[in-house]
Amino acid sequence: MSSALIKCLNLAKTVGNATVKTLLAAPKQPWQTCSAAALQTPHVQMPMQMHTSAVRRDLMEFFDEKKNWSENEVKVGRAWRTEELRIKSNKELHQLWFVLLKERNMLLTMEHECNDKMEIFPSPERIDKVKISMENLETVVRERNKAYHLLETGETGERPQKAVKNAFGLQVSYKACEHALPSFMNLKWIKSRNIGFGGRAVNRFLLKYREKLYNAKRKAKNRSRNEVMMILRRNPNFDLDVLRRQFPDVNVDKLRNEDKIRGHYVPKVGV
Amino acid sequence: MSTRWYPIYQRGNPQLRVFLPNFWMKLIRPTEEQPPNVVTFSVSMEMTKYDVRSYLEKIYKLPVVDVRTRIAMGETKRDQTYGYITKKDDVKLAYVTLPREESFVFPDFFSEKAEKQAKEEKSLDESKAGFRRFLDRNKKRPGTPGWFSI
Repeated sequence: MSSALIKCLNLAKTVGNATVKTLLAAPKQPWQTCSAAALQTPHVQMPMQMHTSAVRRDLMEFFDEKKNWSENEVKVGRAWRTEELRIKSNKELHQLWFVLLKERNMLLTMEHECNDKMEIFPSPERIDKVKISMENLETVVRERNKAYHLLETGETGERPQKAVKNAFGLQVSYKACEHALPSFMNLKWIKSRNIGFGGRAVNRFLLKYREKLYNAKRKAKNRSRNEVMMILRRNPNFDLDVLRRQFPDVNVDKLRNEDKIRGHYVPKVGV
Repeated sequence: MSTRWYPIYQRGNPQLRVFLPNFWMKLIRPTEEQPPNVVTFSVSMEMTKYDVRSYLEKIYKLPVVDVRTRIAMGETKRDQTYGYITKKDDVKLAYVTLPREESFVFPDFFSEKAEKQAKEEKSLDESKAGFRRFLDRNKKRPGTPGWFSI
């Protein structure tokens, strides 16, 4: 993500160059030309020596760099991985989030314009890479959040969820949220939840629904049983261990005495 | 300012903070003619006027005077063959007014693309023609290397 990196460089200029170095280091690949010199300079010399371009703080941030406008392909690095993000500080992650956010806005803008003008959007995988990076970053932040909450309160601090039955009697997970009123006097909430209906129609539906599920299960079982039998009929010396491993829900030893397994040939007796 | 889950806000509580906003904004070409200091954005559906304003002011450091939003309905289309109806998603548009002295012209990205493509095609055609000449010349003496004749 060369342009993201350059922007990250610009952003972090204000914050301190030590972070720039660490942010730059991870998603770099050998062919990536992005400020390799800046990476090799010693840490102490950084503040004075490092050259960065002027910070772009206007609406042009929503567009790609001018040299990429008429390109058919834009070469970029890979997405940030979770293990790379885990070693960053919270501050660095926070900075990187905004770099990624701006990059995503830029890419979405360019994609929209390209679609509008019936042009090909160069390297659309950039959007996926930014998306993956953002997901990974969020995972890492969530991990830290969880660890902190567990340490401090003994709970995960995640949004509480519980399994409830909906209007059709099917199990769904209900995500709890805070309310100003307690649950027993919050009539609006009780009505809006729309759970726990146990009428005759629901029972009838559930009966048929379960039958459907059961039939699917039964047919799958029969299918694999028949398959094993056909295999054994065609190949009488088939390795039973392989079959046992391949079809764990079929009792192969019991099937060996079945009539269907016997082929249309005279069995070799006493050989 | 994000689609995440927040604890309920009650008066006197500390203000809710957004640490990792996940809203997106696209700067789009305006369909109608606008004053030079008005910019059109396509934004996340959950965003409010205040969200758009603080997003631009805090993240992009832009001076924002006014924000107006509307939800543009997606196009409905009837299929010519089978008659079923399809509808595109609704989009939220934000019209952001910048200070009077600012002016923004939406850039033209593809003006140089045609020239560049023509140049590339020309060089490709030239090399193709050169190869064809080589083949014609070597029609009666197959297997001769390229350096053999002048």
